[in-house]
Amino acid sequence: MTGTGALVAVLWRVQRRRLLVWVLASVGTLALTATAVARLYDTPEKIASYGAALGSDALIAINGHVEGIDTLGGIIQDEFGFIASFLMPLMGVALVAGMTRGEEESGRLEALLAGRIDRRVPVVSALLLVGAAVVTMDAGFVLSLLAAGIELGPAGLYALALGMVTLVFAALAAVCAQVVLHSRGVYALGFAAIAFSYVLRGVGDVNDTFWVWLSPLGWLEKTAPFADQRWWVLLIPTVVVTGLSVLAVVLARRRDLGAALYRRGPGEPSASAWLVRPLGFALHGQRGSFLGWLVGSVALAAVMGALAQDVVGAILGNPSLSKAMGITAANAADGFLASTQVYLAIIACGYVVQALGLLRHEEAAGRLEPVLAGALGRMRWLGAQVLVVTTGLVVVVVVSAVVFGAATALSTSDSGYVGQLLESGLAYLPAELVIAAVAVLLYGFVPRAFALAWAAFGAVTFIGLLGSGLQLPDWVLNLSPLTHVGKPPVDDINITALAWLGLVAALLASAAFAGFRRRRVPQG
Amino acid sequence: MSEDIVRIEGLVKQFGSFRALDGLDLDVARGEVHGFLGPNGAGKSTTIRILLGLMRRDGGTIMLYDRDPWSEGTTLRGDLAYVPGDVSLWAGLTGGECMDILAGVHGGMDQKRRAELIERFDLDPTKRARDYSKGNRQKVALVAALASEVGLIVLDEPTSGLDPLMEQVFQGVIRERCQEGATVLLSSHILSEVEALADRVSIIRRGKTVTSGTLADLRRYTRTSVHALTAAAVESLEAVSGLENLTTAQVDGSMETRFTVGPDELDHAIGLVHAAGIRSLTVEPPSLDELFLRNFRDDDTRPVRA
Repeated sequence: MTGTGALVAVLWRVQRRRLLVWVLASVGTLALTATAVARLYDTPEKIASYGAALGSDALIAINGHVEGIDTLGGIIQDEFGFIASFLMPLMGVALVAGMTRGEEESGRLEALLAGRIDRRVPVVSALLLVGAAVVTMDAGFVLSLLAAGIELGPAGLYALALGMVTLVFAALAAVCAQVVLHSRGVYALGFAAIAFSYVLRGVGDVNDTFWVWLSPLGWLEKTAPFADQRWWVLLIPTVVVTGLSVLAVVLARRRDLGAALYRRGPGEPSASAWLVRPLGFALHGQRGSFLGWLVGSVALAAVMGALAQDVVGAILGNPSLSKAMGITAANAADGFLASTQVYLAIIACGYVVQALGLLRHEEAAGRLEPVLAGALGRMRWLGAQVLVVTTGLVVVVVVSAVVFGAATALSTSDSGYVGQLLESGLAYLPAELVIAAVAVLLYGFVPRAFALAWAAFGAVTFIGLLGSGLQLPDWVLNLSPLTHVGKPPVDDINITALAWLGLVAALLASAAFAGFRRRRVPQG
Repeated sequence: MSEDIVRIEGLVKQFGSFRALDGLDLDVARGEVHGFLGPNGAGKSTTIRILLGLMRRDGGTIMLYDRDPWSEGTTLRGDLAYVPGDVSLWAGLTGGECMDILAGVHGGMDQKRRAELIERFDLDPTKRARDYSKGNRQKVALVAALASEVGLIVLDEPTSGLDPLMEQVFQGVIRERCQEGATVLLSSHILSEVEALADRVSIIRRGKTVTSGTLADLRRYTRTSVHALTAAAVESLEAVSGLENLTTAQVDGSMETRFTVGPDELDHAIGLVHAAGIRSLTVEPPSLDELFLRNFRDDDTRPVRA
């Protein structure tokens, strides 16, 4: 197609950092997981014990049903399961959204398409670059697995199956990019698809139904790289990727630049009295991301709560083990519930980082300057934004905890869970506020370094998801504010630690406001 | 090959229920600077996007180099350069890099001319795009387009961020490119700029061409304003056909007379002024501003074909 080479070169020039970060983050996470697992499970007895332990049974809903759990590779697949369920699809969605709609929305694509470049080339180039990134990532995966002592065959199949998940969601995002007008719409549809795939796979696995086969994450699981090695399953994502890509290219060929199949109707002719106030304005800007994260968090809470009884059944179905570990019907679900609580806390951290990142976007896009040029003081502006995000955080946490408690109570017929899980959910609030304060601190002093807030979120996620499984050293675990909460409801909430976390958050936030008062606005 | 590089007839574009273009006509001949005028929202940018093959037409015909830009645009666009109205660059790249990327999709720049234009536009190509002002972003796109080896240069309100000095540089470069044989389609609402550069002008409104022709043609439909101080009162001006806005007053022992008059009666009217004994005379030629205002003041879109 005319201009493919030229546009690939342009996109590579302007997007290579993002591409490299995604590849390195993915390969790094798997490499860390694989080496840690290989170090921990260095004898056949230890490997066998992993599969027999209750963790794997209880966490089928979360990590997926891993065939060959009694092998080293199976353990790696299980430990990497939850992260992979989100990291792989997100990579595809984020890269394609940025390279297609993102470029188009900014107006840069218009200047490029006025040259010798075919209309279909932007979407083709984006998919080619994501394809190249996936090939590189797969190579990295294979090397990491080989280094951990996995054989080439299973390592290759697992790497390919993981890469396919990224490609499926990349192709899906490419179609979405033709359908909606803004890259945030592509993200929203992508997130919805990721959540839907995860729920389908989770429910399908727990109930052992064909639902698993309807989810791209299910296809990953069904390749069974460390058991039966069903290479033919890779055909399903291959066909889906091809179909979606062709559809995206056909849509791109037919549509006008800047046009979308779906478009919103006309809006209000003037701002409401509420919108012109700092708080109302902040609320308006934050509404979309708040609703998105709330829905995601509540969905995870509801699904996990509903599965609680199945988990209890699975654990008590192994009487010798549960007896040995002193597990009774009353506390069988606690480990599972505590893990889910950590995942909900991670989602809440993601919400605050993303919501506060919007402030940086506002400023970089030049929209903050006119707002602050009026009588509105910058302290009031930042105060209103932070207040809205903090309130949003409390709402996300409380609603998710209540839904989680109610769903768990319904599935286990134990109403005590409602209060218990609300308490555990709230216990994570100070830790989540520390993450929020770090993000505001970066915004207040060096807005250009806001990516570091995402790096902090990545570290917290890694420690939260894999820290205990990989038996990371204590000083690493303690880097994450979530660690200090005390993992309720399995362990007691550490009240002193919560007070300290709250104090740290307050101090960091005050510093952030002081920094914002002094610094130059706007900074691009 | 025909002399018209761009030929548009009865172009229609519909966005939902809104008719953005409603039978627009436009011809751009080889080697000319064609001014494309219209108020905000008249359909200038939409027309240009259809011309570039970025949007599909809903009716009428549009030809670029005698071909259909939607189906064959990819090859056709190799011989044109384009500066969009709202220039957006890649924040992390330098101006020089952005310039090379933009020109690269059209077939690259003449390196000598690139260096010369950077110098003339007083641009620092090593700055990051995020640190450029609006005017400097525009300069980056202008250098990329004007240094490209192309036959047609399409400019969509290219100088809205330039200062008067840079505006002069811009006009100088456009004239040079035209002498070298390039054709320019210049969409603008800065009338002095169009007046200074354009050989022919098309004025559009609400998606329709209101009038089109050479500046001399169009001026025939506009009026000259006259301001005179004379020794005696000017006789029988009221009798001149088509003379309007007549005011008279006595100033320091002279008679002051103001009026506007069409091109056909100008000679007659000035003769009458002369007969009254001229002490001071100011005659303002019809400007494009007036043409523009006249076309857009009244609400009908009666075409004034020149």
